[in-house]
Amino acid sequence: MLFRRIYQFLIVYSIGLISLLLIKAGLSLSDYVIPGFELILETLAQVFDTYFLDVMNTMSVTVLGQCVSIALAFGVGIAGRRSSWMGSFIKVTAYNIQAYPIVALAPIIFILLGDGFMSRLLIASMICYFPLLLSVLGIMATPVEDIEHFYIITGRMRWQLEVKIRAFENLSKLTTVISGSATLAMAGTIVAEFIAANAGIGYSIRVALYQSDLAKILIALFLIGIIISIYQGCLETLGEQIKTRWSVSKGGNSR
Amino acid sequence: MKKQSIHILVLFLFTALFSVASHADEIELNYRLKWLFNTSVAGDIYADAKGYFKEAGLKVTVKEGSPEKNAINELELGHSDFGVASADQVIRALDKGAKIMVLAQLFQVNPMQWIYRTDQPQIKTLDDLRGRNIGITFGGNDETVMNTLFAKAGITSKEVKITGVRFDFTPFFKREVDVWPVYFNSQGVILKDKLEKEGERVYFFNPADFGVNFVANSVITSEKVWKNRPEVVKKFMDALLKGWEAAMDPSNEADVLMEVKKQDKESNDELRRLQLIATRELIKPSADVKIGTMDVEAWKQTEAIMLNEKQIKKPVRVETILKH
Repeated sequence: MLFRRIYQFLIVYSIGLISLLLIKAGLSLSDYVIPGFELILETLAQVFDTYFLDVMNTMSVTVLGQCVSIALAFGVGIAGRRSSWMGSFIKVTAYNIQAYPIVALAPIIFILLGDGFMSRLLIASMICYFPLLLSVLGIMATPVEDIEHFYIITGRMRWQLEVKIRAFENLSKLTTVISGSATLAMAGTIVAEFIAANAGIGYSIRVALYQSDLAKILIALFLIGIIISIYQGCLETLGEQIKTRWSVSKGGNSR
Repeated sequence: MKKQSIHILVLFLFTALFSVASHADEIELNYRLKWLFNTSVAGDIYADAKGYFKEAGLKVTVKEGSPEKNAINELELGHSDFGVASADQVIRALDKGAKIMVLAQLFQVNPMQWIYRTDQPQIKTLDDLRGRNIGITFGGNDETVMNTLFAKAGITSKEVKITGVRFDFTPFFKREVDVWPVYFNSQGVILKDKLEKEGERVYFFNPADFGVNFVANSVITSEKVWKNRPEVVKKFMDALLKGWEAAMDPSNEADVLMEVKKQDKESNDELRRLQLIATRELIKPSADVKIGTMDVEAWKQTEAIMLNEKQIKKPVRVETILKH
């Protein structure tokens, strides 16, 4: 899973880069508009260390932001799963908050919290949270009637049990959504850094943009892609392992 | 009814044909600015609004710029015929093999300056920068200029505190940063106005007063357009500079402000007026300065600074592409 993610990314990145180089050659563009391969390699040697650390910095906020958004999405999803007035109110509130584009809210967040760690974390979480919430709400609001019916008629149903049943019966969907949300968390962190932070790869991209240095931007994109592929690959592998264990503990086949 | 419809259709076709014919002689051009429509580009707006381009037989689409909408890229890709770029962009592009020409230097004084409160000691010499908390846009040309000033004064990074800044002025208002980078004729006017309303007065720190002349915005075109369409270049530049001369004439102030207001609805009338006065000081510092004049020495100094700061790899001899 992990290696497949990496080579898939390498294929996509190579296609993108080759296309750019073909456009450059076709239109006889200077290195200012599209850098040549030699310049890209030269820039890679210059900025690799700095950009790698920047990506790791961004990644640390991403992972934390994703954890926060998972916790939030599960919290709201569990609270809003019922078709009661309160459940409906929580759902509507969650949807309405998300109706505002985060990029528009970001300057307010930065004015209130400054351009440090908290702002990046909050924006990353907010961007990652909503798609997660939609899936969690969908899963938590749909009864697994075959199983739940037994606990209901025997009077043993509790909300914790209900959540457990629905989560484990939809484990495959949940792990897919969680691993997919990693890219959103990364994108959120980069957006935050691009808009107003003073650290991370999004900030470095902004600086490179000021200097119209596409070679640096291409290297940043490569590092972001490769690191997020590794992270997603790890999440997917973890998800597979959890599913296998669950399947084994239920007495089923591990495959 | 049917006859009436045919008449309307014929009239419509006739109008459309006439309209096409009347524009057929006009040469269509795209002109990409460096930044958004505001008082800083009053001359560009005025040349368009007052029909100077049309008089010259040109149909010019004046387009706003941004960091993502780079005029040099657009010239190479053929999306624009003329554009505005700062000297550092021009020199970087030359370093990377771009073929461009500079046709006019719009700002005779660089608007990029620093603002600070008068309750702090005035910066009379570069040594007075020591110990201050100075705002810098990392990657921006203010970083290059400030590094040059530090080098000139022998100031090390330990002797000043550098804070990375963005569009949000809060750290300056909260006095977390003492000396804040601004564009003198846009943000400078806004900040000065805000602080004066709070009873605070400000100074501006202009690097040119300390011998660092870093050229700002200029009008550019591609080498291809310059070589192959000299008559178009001449018509465009004559009309543009006529627009700038008229826009900077104090007797046209009310008219200019009205035209700018149509494009820039963000600022209020009084701020726009103050911004226009400030822009005039930078574009036409004295009556005898002809708008668009190239300060060749300043261009050479800008190149030398960038070479020294390792922003370019080799000398590009920028003076060879200054064509005004």
